[in-house]
Amino acid sequence: MFNLKTGTVAALLVLSAGAGYAQDTPINGTVQSRCIIQTDQPGIYGNPNAYTLSTTNSDGGSPPVIRVDVTLAAAYYVDITAPSEFSSSPSLPDVVTWAGDTSVKTMSDSTTMGGYETGKLETGYTDRYDLTATGSTWFQTTSTATMGGSKAFPGGNYTALVEAACIAK
Amino acid sequence: MLRYVLVMLLLFGHSASAHEMVPTYPKLEPAYVEGLYKTTMTMFNKRPEVEYYEIGVFTSDWKPIPFVSNYKVYKVPYLSTVSFDIYVRSEDRYDVTYICSVSKLRQSSRTRTAVSSKICSKVKRLGE
Repeated sequence: MFNLKTGTVAALLVLSAGAGYAQDTPINGTVQSRCIIQTDQPGIYGNPNAYTLSTTNSDGGSPPVIRVDVTLAAAYYVDITAPSEFSSSPSLPDVVTWAGDTSVKTMSDSTTMGGYETGKLETGYTDRYDLTATGSTWFQTTSTATMGGSKAFPGGNYTALVEAACIAK
Repeated sequence: MLRYVLVMLLLFGHSASAHEMVPTYPKLEPAYVEGLYKTTMTMFNKRPEVEYYEIGVFTSDWKPIPFVSNYKVYKVPYLSTVSFDIYVRSEDRYDVTYICSVSKLRQSSRTRTAVSSKICSKVKRLGE
């Protein structure tokens, strides 16, 4: 008799455990509005002749690509500034002349972002884009450095900075 | 021509790297110390080549405003998040407009980057 009772209780326990009560396990999360600046592609200076460094593909270079993601429409503008000096370089024999420009390379939604390029504001080396839609935009910056007097760039490492700033409106 | 070195603007092409800071619209609230207002910001670093970010507080005309925080340059290791408090004087609270973080690049780093990233949040006032 004792064995029967024990067995019954044990069976009930097993059954109840096996049945498994359905429970909702919430996964909570909050998406805050934000702007994210990403470096998507390196920039490389090509050296088409002794006195020029250029990121243009036809010159053997590669322009840097910066991706900006925003999760709130019309909340940010982005300023992208092409280089106007080297942040590190060998000693240079003459003055360097700079040229640079930024353009929209691609976008996640061409319908809402299609006007970014035409609507940009250019001030010197800085291009300002009003990010009126949510999503990702890829910006490409070209940079050319020309040594004065057609003198050659000395051998060595050259680094120049592209500045990307995402500023809340 | 190859003896002239072709050198890189950026050296991190193999993966995207990101910098972000929230909230976008922080609010200044009275601090526990009289005469000070504070807000809390959070930075996330997904740039493997950047370890340090400098913070700054500015007016709407981008003039710097004195502030107090644990550090002005925060170490934010790769893939980590750092939250920090910013304190400003009560008399400056209506001038505070932008709170920014800027990536600090090591000149001596073997893996130099050519993108300086800056994110600015805006303190909004009533009616803005």
